[in-house]
Amino acid sequence: MENEKTLFQLLPGGPLKVTGPFQIKGPDGKIIDKREPVYLCRCGGSSNKPFCDATHKRIGFSK
Amino acid sequence: MTDPRDRQYTNGEITVFWVPSKCIHATTCFRELIEVFNPGRRPWVNMEGATTRRIIEVVNKCPTQSLVWKYNKDLTEEERKALRDVSKVEETPKTLSGTNAPTSIRIMKDGPIVVEGKFAIIGAENQELKPTSLTSFCRCGSSRNMPYCDGTHRKIGFTDQTPANGE
Repeated sequence: MENEKTLFQLLPGGPLKVTGPFQIKGPDGKIIDKREPVYLCRCGGSSNKPFCDATHKRIGFSK
Repeated sequence: MTDPRDRQYTNGEITVFWVPSKCIHATTCFRELIEVFNPGRRPWVNMEGATTRRIIEVVNKCPTQSLVWKYNKDLTEEERKALRDVSKVEETPKTLSGTNAPTSIRIMKDGPIVVEGKFAIIGAENQELKPTSLTSFCRCGSSRNMPYCDGTHRKIGFTDQTPANGE
């Protein structure tokens, strides 16, 4: 049986977009109940970590 | 007695031994010290990634005898010989791939996003990046090996906490 692959998409200067089947656990090891897509902060500046809150635009994240 | 898949790595001072058959993928090593233990890289152990003291500290936390260490002056002749043999092909550390479990995403406290399972990574130019079944993405914004974690979060004191002043 071929399972659907999870996709991790690096949005330029922005977050990591995740689609497909996944289970996400927070820093405390607890499962975070989130449906796809999720946008994970990559710039380090979000006030809603681990998720994106568009802070990358304000701080000029470019990677 | 010795498994041909076993490996050893040295920084000149100590040698770390890896016995894949004893690995239960507790993931302690790479969660604690991705700069040294990075299953997405070959070789997966980089002995230059941290101080000897720190490497010993993490190896000691391995819940099985899959990772052990020794001072180089205590190596047997056989172990010394194995160190010189760099031609061996490495196994991939055990991961969740091959199981039907959904891809696991772990947000490490004040650290990276550790991803394990069956997945693809799409880069900024819509190209697929090097396939792997286990990797860690930078979350602090300062890695010099984007999009992957290189341990910089520790140097810059990255934290999950939101700054109190909000700016």
